[in-house]
Amino acid sequence: MEIKTLKIGKKNNKLTESIIHDLRASEDIGVNKCIQCGMCTSVCPASRHSDYDSREIAKRVLEEDESVICDDIIWNCFSCYSCHSICPVGNSVAEIVQILRQKAIAQGKLEQVVTFLAFGESLMELGIGSIPLEYFNILIEIIGDEYLDIKINLDDIREELGLGKLTLPDDDTRDIKIILEKTGFTNRLEKLRAYKESNKNSKHKG
Amino acid sequence: MKKIPDKDILIFKSCLVSGEYPGVESSTKYLFDKLGVEYVLDERQSCCTGLGYYFDLFDQFSTTALAARNFAIAREIEHKNIATLCATCYAILKKACNILNENDTVRNRINQIFKDSKMDHMEYSPGDFDSHSNIFHAAEILWNKTAEIKEIPKIDLSNFKIASHHACHYCKVHYKEETIGNMRNPMIIEELAKTCGVETVDWYDHKRTTCGAGFRQRFANLDLSLSVTADKLLSLQENDVDILLHMCPNCQMQFDRYQPVIEKKLNTKFDLVHLNIAQFLALAMGADPYKVVGVQTHTVPLDNILERINQASPVVI
Ligand code: SF4
Ligand code: SF4
Ligand code: SF4
Ligand code: SF4
Repeated sequence: MEIKTLKIGKKNNKLTESIIHDLRASEDIGVNKCIQCGMCTSVCPASRHSDYDSREIAKRVLEEDESVICDDIIWNCFSCYSCHSICPVGNSVAEIVQILRQKAIAQGKLEQVVTFLAFGESLMELGIGSIPLEYFNILIEIIGDEYLDIKINLDDIREELGLGKLTLPDDDTRDIKIILEKTGFTNRLEKLRAYKESNKNSKHKG
Repeated sequence: MKKIPDKDILIFKSCLVSGEYPGVESSTKYLFDKLGVEYVLDERQSCCTGLGYYFDLFDQFSTTALAARNFAIAREIEHKNIATLCATCYAILKKACNILNENDTVRNRINQIFKDSKMDHMEYSPGDFDSHSNIFHAAEILWNKTAEIKEIPKIDLSNFKIASHHACHYCKVHYKEETIGNMRNPMIIEELAKTCGVETVDWYDHKRTTCGAGFRQRFANLDLSLSVTADKLLSLQENDVDILLHMCPNCQMQFDRYQPVIEKKLNTKFDLVHLNIAQFLALAMGADPYKVVGVQTHTVPLDNILERINQASPVVI
């Protein structure tokens, strides 16, 4: 096995540099310091139960292997930060993977996020997130109708518990919409909506 | 040891608490009232975006902008000590706070958005909040009152064996923070539970393993998600644990909602119920299970513990 962890003479560092400077990365993220010790893999639930291997992700990034961005395996990470908290050199596969996924999305790989579109829509409309309907229906199917009953009775239960309204006042959801329009989030949701529509249409034709 | 406040607290509402286990919010309020912790809630406070962030739907910039808006609300009402009910909110807000303090470009862009939108009062100045001394998990506020909690009469629950699930986003994201106990073996939940005179299993295999929700995994990759949850449940079963105590609605949901599904899958029965640490303490102090603790939104029935509570009344332990 060839392990290249020393960057002496390494000419290309585009991928590692872009990860290190990403806003999602911790300020002192040790991407280049990885010693391939495998501690991350030893505590990683995705590595334990699937073909995913966190040490391998750290290695591919070190080697500037851009194909990792479009590798479906990165979508197996749980964002549990076990790797992040245990790494002896301050690297974070948890953050690396989040950044790689954002890169995949920027390259048009939308199928992994499009199903979560409704969470963003709900946050824009109500100021709080919610489980997308497709997934909610599956939840009821596997958990049972009692789960649906909880949701139907939620307002009454909250009242019984002396709690306030679930959603935000209209003025505030309006402010949130304005802010998210200007941060570019609305744009992102629109792209996802368009992608969803075009997929629907092509399915109908097919 | 970090200084934990007991006043000027904004309880930061969590959408998962609100929608799944609202009893966590009412139990926290019940305890804060009893302990003389001064707090408010604010209807304008929005969701932190956390779940959306880990669904890879939200970008860091949008998340930070909404955090700045929520910080502005806390500042305006002069309740700058934020106490989250959800571990992901805790980690998300700390990260956003650090970015707002340290990254001039991002802060200026966000402030410009506020200016352009006639929300000048929302603008963030460096140092407005400190991620270390202004952002807490509600369990830490309670932990700081351990001595007072000990004095309050409680129902004897010592026949139950207790273990904890310390949410990863509480102890692993900002792992350089002082996590009570320590990052490798967090003990905040055990220390709080011990005030009720109960036996706690302080270490078990997989104590530090994630709940298995994995954000997208629970929805998009159910088998993978449940195999991780099962690891943890089996280890708890080996240790004869009766109650698993939580500090995050997302983990609680993973265990409480999916436990029956996993039982069917593995053809076994887990005699294990799930409660948030605030719900547990409130129950022990004699709070109404339906009007304060909110047991009616749980999937795994809490009959055993409710029976015990019906038979006994609070005494000084
Ligand atoms: S634990 Fe850190 S240093 Fe070790 S292989 Fe993983 S990322 Fe590299
Ligand atoms: S965050 Fe991802 S890579 Fe890290 S331990 Fe968890 S599942 Fe593994
Ligand atoms: S972290 Fe999750 S539960 Fe907490 S407010 Fe954010 S999205 Fe809601
Ligand atoms: S255990 Fe699961 S839900 Fe809880 S904080 Fe960790 S990843 Fe999130």
